[in-house]
Amino acid sequence: MEYNTVEILLIEDNMNDAELAIRAFRKGNISNNLIHLKDGAQALEFLFGTGKFEGRDTSIKPKVILLDLKMPKMDGLEVLTHIKANKLTKAIPVVVLTSSKEHPDIERAYSLGANSYIVKPVEFDEFTKIVADLGFYWLLKNQPPV
Amino acid sequence: MESKIDKHPNSYNEEKTMTALELSEQALEAKDEEKNEIAIKLAMAVKELSFQIEENGKRAEELIVANKELAFQSAQKDKRAAELVSANKELAFQNEQKDKRAAELDIANKELAFQNEEKDKRAAELVIANRELAFQKGEKKKRAVELIDSNKEVDELEKRVKERTEDLESFSYSVSHDLRTPLRAINGYAQMLGEDYGNVLDAEGKRLLGEVRSNAKKMGVLIDDLLTFSRLGRKGVRKSNVEMNKLIETVLAEINQSLAHNAEIRFSNLLPATADYILLRQVITNLLSNAIKYSSKKENPVIEIKSELKNGALIYSVSDNGAGFDMQYVNKLFGVFQRLHSDEEFSGTGVGLAIVQRIIHKHDGKVWAQGIEGEGATFFFSLPFNEEKTTENV
Repeated sequence: MEYNTVEILLIEDNMNDAELAIRAFRKGNISNNLIHLKDGAQALEFLFGTGKFEGRDTSIKPKVILLDLKMPKMDGLEVLTHIKANKLTKAIPVVVLTSSKEHPDIERAYSLGANSYIVKPVEFDEFTKIVADLGFYWLLKNQPPV
Repeated sequence: MESKIDKHPNSYNEEKTMTALELSEQALEAKDEEKNEIAIKLAMAVKELSFQIEENGKRAEELIVANKELAFQSAQKDKRAAELVSANKELAFQNEQKDKRAAELDIANKELAFQNEEKDKRAAELVIANRELAFQKGEKKKRAVELIDSNKEVDELEKRVKERTEDLESFSYSVSHDLRTPLRAINGYAQMLGEDYGNVLDAEGKRLLGEVRSNAKKMGVLIDDLLTFSRLGRKGVRKSNVEMNKLIETVLAEINQSLAHNAEIRFSNLLPATADYILLRQVITNLLSNAIKYSSKKENPVIEIKSELKNGALIYSVSDNGAGFDMQYVNKLFGVFQRLHSDEEFSGTGVGLAIVQRIIHKHDGKVWAQGIEGEGATFFFSLPFNEEKTTENV
């Protein structure tokens, strides 16, 4: 995949959830330029062109970041903090995608600058619909920062 | 008083006078010899007479003085008598006064005696009261000691409750996140299987796949309900004035979006409540959803919401003409996971009414129900009315 054309950055440690999300995007015909990274550290390397992603043109940014909160090592809130604290990445819309509406960090996520907070439904049809809506809104409707 | 001096000299003088006269007459009649004798006698009688006269005069003078003295003494005596009379009168008056005083004193003594008696009575009462007080002091001390003990116990319990609550929170999170994730996978992959390999599955294969998916979905709902229920235990009650008519409209609009039904829902002029808006909305949602669900098999389902003010409490009721229930099982209605209908008859998790009860109890209210099997049910809940109104209006 050509990293420089990435439109959607999916940060998700659970492979099942990732597969479901990717399938849902594909169903909505918006999966062409999606990259899935399995943890927060990789995501930051991608965004800042370091480590494995050394040399990537960081001026080309994804149109939206989908971020799972519960991840091993560096969790979603930590990733969010880095993204929103850095001039290079702070303007990128971040949608927090999590399994739980019980999550005590909903408020923290918003206060750290999350643009949206979505609970993944158990029902796949619902999930598909949410992902499709999400793609439609952030990739087609939303005017990204220049 | 008759005077001796008065009488005696007069009669004596009379006697003497008579003697001289008699002597003179004798002299006249007597002879010379005799005459001399008589003359001597006469002279002696005259002398005696003059002496007696002189004496008489002396006596008279003395008598006058004595009389004067007597008169003076008489006057003095009268004066004294008058003084005595006045003194007697004074004495009589004083006696009278004394008697009066004595009578007064008697009354006062009686009063004093009565007061003494009363005082004694009071003293006796005081003794009893003191004993009682001493006893109560002892009891109070005991209670204080007991209170300290039970406070310690309460502190200990609070600590444990806090620990348990923390456990529960992490458990809730775990359930919520970790159970839902595989559930989503089961459901998702079953759907993928159906979509990608549906052409190689026969009808029975597709049915089995459908069962997998519907059960995964049901479990998701169950987890959500359970989490809602456990979340209520931790959530504080933030009261505000709730316009019930508006709340019912809002809830109905939500229900109508996700659930097709043909129930006629009646309500008007419901009394406003003082309650936590979000929690009360959950109560109304659950009760209305139930009423709609359990009356859905009737030809003309009718649901009625009413309110009244009774004995200082606001009482709301939701009635339906649906499946109802046997009053024998009324106690099971509000228990967690307790159901009076099979899932085939009416689907559900058995948490909805437990949530209703928990919320109403948190508001210091009560829940109860009445039903007739096959004819309908009425669910009641009460909320305290005389609460301080909050400024916030919802």
